[in-house]
Amino acid sequence: MAGYEIDPCEKCEEWMQPYLDRALDDNERVEAEKHLAGCSHCARRYRFEESLRQFVRKACSEQMSPELKQKLAALRTPL
Amino acid sequence: MSETTEDGAARRLAADARNRVRFEEEALELSDQVYRVARRLVSSREEAEDLVQETYARAFRSWRSFTPGTNLRAWLLRILTNLNIDRGRRKQRTPDEQPLEEGDYFLYNRLESSTRDGNADEERVVERLSQDDIVTALSSVPHDFRDVVVLVDIGDFTYQDAAQILDIPIGTVMSRLHRGRRILKRELADRAIGET
Repeated sequence: MAGYEIDPCEKCEEWMQPYLDRALDDNERVEAEKHLAGCSHCARRYRFEESLRQFVRKACSEQMSPELKQKLAALRTPL
Repeated sequence: MSETTEDGAARRLAADARNRVRFEEEALELSDQVYRVARRLVSSREEAEDLVQETYARAFRSWRSFTPGTNLRAWLLRILTNLNIDRGRRKQRTPDEQPLEEGDYFLYNRLESSTRDGNADEERVVERLSQDDIVTALSSVPHDFRDVVVLVDIGDFTYQDAAQILDIPIGTVMSRLHRGRRILKRELADRAIGET
């Protein structure tokens, strides 16, 4: 926090979530990508975050039982 | 004259039945996705199954209040989260402000520094986490934050959908998501590396 310049890696860290959510505005996105192209430290952490998100999704996906599926179908209004 | 009125009524009835059948079929096609989200919103499989059944029972009863052409999956999840709240799950409210100093690179930094091979690539670093680590870590994220993380990161809902499902402003969705993911990473670090 010394001086007036914000550490670019710190800013890039702040942008990681909105960047991966595609929630940055165009200027911020361009600036983030410019930084990532020249900074392997940040680029590696962005790639890790992407893999982590995929892994979380996979790890947390539990199939429903066929019994429950049948029970749900049985809730339908009889014709 | 009365015959045509009867015909009209019969036609309307038939059309109504067709719409209902279509609604029920479309809702059932989404049940895997609804269950997947439900399972992570509550702590046990039984609870999730009850909740999904209750949701479908209510959805089938009140199918007329669904507007065709809108997001049915979000509509079902809205019923589900309301039922979940009605069950009194949320006796304890979690404050939005929790001390949390770690930034978003925190987990990677921790995993990397505890990996002997300093040059391990990102995929390998992720593989140090087990499925169990992730499931337990997610379940220890406080409800308010977890709901948003589950809807967006597991259920693939947009910020906007999540806001409607949980009936909270979109800004709140974004801040809870942000914090929820950070809390998740802190929990993961504790599990994968152990507290230091």
